[in-house]
Amino acid sequence: MTTVLIIEDETDIRRYLRATLTAQDYEVLEASTAKEGLQKLTLNRPDLIILDLGLPDTDGQDFIRAVRDWSRTPIIVLSAREHETDKVTALENGADDYLTKPFSPAELLARLKVALRHAMPAQAEVSDIFEHDGLKVDQTAAQVWLDGQEIHLTPIEFRLLTTLIKHPGKVLTHAQLLKTVWGRHTTEQNHYLRIHTQHLREKLGDDPLNPRFILTRPGIGYGFKA
Amino acid sequence: MTSDTRPDPDKLLALVGNDGGDGARRRGRLKIFFGANAGVGKTYAMLSEARRLHSDGHDVLIGVVEHHGRAETLALIDGLPVLARREIVHRHVHLTEFDLDAALVRKPGLILVDEYAHTNAPGSRHPKRWQDIEELLDNGIDVCTTLNVQHLESLNDVVARLTGVWVKETVPDAAFDTADEIALIDIPPDELLKRLSEGKVYVSDGAHTRAADNFFKKANLGRLREIALRRAAERVDAQNDALSAAMGQSEAATGDKILVLVGPDPLSALLIRHTKRMADRSRAQWFALYLQTDRHETLSDNARRRIENHLRLAERLGARVVRLNAGRAASSILTYARQNGFTRLVLGHTKQPWWRSLWGGQSLSQKLIAQGAGLEIITLNADTPTQTKDTGSRFRLTPSPRDYLIATAITGIATALGVPFRAVIDPDSFIMLYITGVVVTAARYGIGPSLFASVLSVCAFNWFFVAPYYSFTFDNVSYALTFGVMLVTSLIVGSLTARLSLHARLARRSEAETRLLYDVSRALSSVSAPEAIGQVTQRQLQPAFDADIALWHDSVQITGEPIGDPREIGAMQWVAQNRQIAGRDTDTLPTAQGLYLPIALEGTSLGVLSLTPKDRSRQFSGAEHLIFETVASLIGGALQRARQTQIAETSRVESENEKLRNVLLASLSHDLKTPLTVMNGAVGTLLKMRKKLPREAVDELTAMWNHLTRLQKFVSNLLRMAALTSGQLKLNFEPYLIQEVAGAALARIDAQKGQRRVQTQTVGTVPMVRIDGALIEQVLINLFENAIAHTAEDGLISLTFETDADRVRVRIGDNGPGLKPGEEDRIFEKFYTYGQQTSDRQTESTGLGLAICKAIIEAHGGLIYAKNNPSGGASFIFTLPVDNTET
Repeated sequence: MTTVLIIEDETDIRRYLRATLTAQDYEVLEASTAKEGLQKLTLNRPDLIILDLGLPDTDGQDFIRAVRDWSRTPIIVLSAREHETDKVTALENGADDYLTKPFSPAELLARLKVALRHAMPAQAEVSDIFEHDGLKVDQTAAQVWLDGQEIHLTPIEFRLLTTLIKHPGKVLTHAQLLKTVWGRHTTEQNHYLRIHTQHLREKLGDDPLNPRFILTRPGIGYGFKA
Repeated sequence: MTSDTRPDPDKLLALVGNDGGDGARRRGRLKIFFGANAGVGKTYAMLSEARRLHSDGHDVLIGVVEHHGRAETLALIDGLPVLARREIVHRHVHLTEFDLDAALVRKPGLILVDEYAHTNAPGSRHPKRWQDIEELLDNGIDVCTTLNVQHLESLNDVVARLTGVWVKETVPDAAFDTADEIALIDIPPDELLKRLSEGKVYVSDGAHTRAADNFFKKANLGRLREIALRRAAERVDAQNDALSAAMGQSEAATGDKILVLVGPDPLSALLIRHTKRMADRSRAQWFALYLQTDRHETLSDNARRRIENHLRLAERLGARVVRLNAGRAASSILTYARQNGFTRLVLGHTKQPWWRSLWGGQSLSQKLIAQGAGLEIITLNADTPTQTKDTGSRFRLTPSPRDYLIATAITGIATALGVPFRAVIDPDSFIMLYITGVVVTAARYGIGPSLFASVLSVCAFNWFFVAPYYSFTFDNVSYALTFGVMLVTSLIVGSLTARLSLHARLARRSEAETRLLYDVSRALSSVSAPEAIGQVTQRQLQPAFDADIALWHDSVQITGEPIGDPREIGAMQWVAQNRQIAGRDTDTLPTAQGLYLPIALEGTSLGVLSLTPKDRSRQFSGAEHLIFETVASLIGGALQRARQTQIAETSRVESENEKLRNVLLASLSHDLKTPLTVMNGAVGTLLKMRKKLPREAVDELTAMWNHLTRLQKFVSNLLRMAALTSGQLKLNFEPYLIQEVAGAALARIDAQKGQRRVQTQTVGTVPMVRIDGALIEQVLINLFENAIAHTAEDGLISLTFETDADRVRVRIGDNGPGLKPGEEDRIFEKFYTYGQQTSDRQTESTGLGLAICKAIIEAHGGLIYAKNNPSGGASFIFTLPVDNTET
């Protein structure tokens, strides 16, 4: 049985989340403050955390950073704000996904499943061969096949691709991608990221208007279609 | 070494000058048509060139050209645009003058202004035309002008000595040397004389014809021609030197450094001109030094003004000016010269009075020659009188007749005190009484009255106290010695006392100056509002200088009697604009009553300080100018501080406001969205159980679900609009391929679009754009939703990307009913809903979607508009600027 910890100060939202989750056979733990959440996290070791950013006692961002110091439990963030800054910060602090209020139960459950999946010991990390929707990547041999045809990627494009497929379904922020692929992050490289993503897409036959592999999250980053 | 000889590109660029087309603050180019004397054809040449440029389509304007009624000149002017002259009435005489302001307003590409050295009519902005031309150049207007060699400052005296004609109208050499181009107009003397005899040369007015006859002698013409040619050649040399110095080849400079000593003596002007020529010939740097000794304080105002004039002359001729405060003249000068690497010293030789040399005293030049080993010392003798009578020192350091009267009175008092006791007290005792009187006189009234009192005392002592009384004879021969000792003693005591007292007074005065500056600075540091700064300035300066003070801050007068006189206001504005001193006792707008000082800090003008002496005839001394400048800079600092305080305050209030708005929006967001989320969850959960519910309940729940969705959208739009219009939304610009963003938007509306087809098309290659990805995604979502709302279930939505110069254009078209006429603009207004909503479901318009699109696109510097397609339906088009980041 999968356990989900909900840290949210609004009783009604907690109730809604609990109803939605228990109906899907998740076990639900509830906390109304960050302190309480931290206690339950250490005691009960849940499989996933749903965290509201606007908590009464601590800033949600600080909470994510604190948890990430010692735990890899997936975190899905709930945000009421329209703008993307909160989400980008949360992702960079170590959150796995975000949901903007109001959200539908279906949306919540879909995100939950993706987060739980790549929290498992990722297959991609165990086996060197990654396969998805006609794309095959051999990470050791640095070879890529698309629909059975081998395609040639530059080292940067290859690193970009492997970074994305390591976390399928998860959105990686621009800064995270730049740091992993280039080793450091400067704003002018933002431009290179777009150029290389574009080249990678061309080689993968991926139409940005209707992507098969790489998803764009404007203002946030890129993700690999799960 | 190699690094030193590398060309300095900045210097080279500066030399190449201002042909660069960098627009806004380009300085105009100056071309001077230069000749040896009148009649060589400078104006003719200038006009010919102007005609040529005019016919080539250049914007040429004649500012002022003196044609003197000559037909050939008039013929050249004909057809060129001519600026109307300004009329000036001065003492009932109508004068016409070049209209500088009209020229600045008209702002031609090139303007012709004849006679560079012309002196403007009284009441003009600048006393000299060359200053008008400077202002034209500063405003980016190219200027052509004409100049004769005798009008050049440094050659003025040479020409005068040669021809016997003194020309008062001079142009500083610096103006000539910095001209971008010199065209030397030269004709042989014979030809000039022929032209003269033919009446083709204009010779000013009748009164000068004799002088002119003298001027136009063939020998003179030859000499003048030689001077002009040499001067023009020197300029070319100087330019070459500057160029080779910039290229790193500095062998042109001789390493000579010349120091000229300047004083109140009129000989100084001669010295300065001489040094200038010497420096030019040996390509040396030169400095003008004024040594400010104790004597400076005893100088009259006139002498001080002459010193200032001399220093200004030196500056105009290209010297660096140094003022040195020192006690012992010779040794200070030599120390300064040696420390600063001077090789030559130029000074005037002053004739010593005979008694001075008897005394064994040496003149300054003798001392310098005696001590100045290793320095080349050049003394110049002149036949000009070395001293002029000066009267009326302001500081009363030179005695007035009244002081002598008081000296007499003091001696009288000493006598009156003694006379009643002369029968009982030994007469010698009264000597002390007199000496006391001399000391008092010396202390209060200086050396002159004290000497006078000494002599008077001896006489009075003899008359009143030495038997026989009331006669200058005396019985006892030993009194001859007594008188002698008494005279010498009182002279020595008197002069020592006088000197001590002078020093004390000077110390007091300099202390008073320091004190004033200290008070001003302390008073200014305690205030922060501009008005308070104004009050402090007025309170401190008004009594100290007995002048009316006015202060402007950003063109608003903040203290003093309101000044409305257009002449004064004009001076104030000129100073604010040009950040240079103007008004009385200066070269610019000298007819203004007040002295106007710029208050500027780091090149920005903060305001203007003006001082108008209550006694209109009083002139401010150089020392006072220095104090004013210091005060102006203190005020500048205070005003700057005031401005910063104000900015800090405004930004604090703004950031508080922004914080408040942020908090408000955040809590509004939270308060509106929490219940929506809860309801959404509840209805969603209930709908999942639809099989267990009665049909009516499911219908109600579905309706509730639809309205909830609408409400959510409305709330989202409302909050987004609030964030956009409150200006607190900071755009996070990043490079994007617009198709990526469109792809994300299409994914978001996938569920809503139902059976409608989306057709995409990209025309050519579309470059990246610089946008806030999330906001543009929102624009696309809103436009798609709008298209969905206005098309039938099986409608067609088209999406086109294309490039148009430096813009990317995105078009979203539909095959719905289209816009009603006149609706194209209104649909982007807030809460305007349009057309017939073909779908009654959740996509129903809130009247905000398009307004949000417009706000976002405009924040990106793009355009958004709508129009009907020729084939039916409406199109929404927006443009975005292309990302220009280097790849």
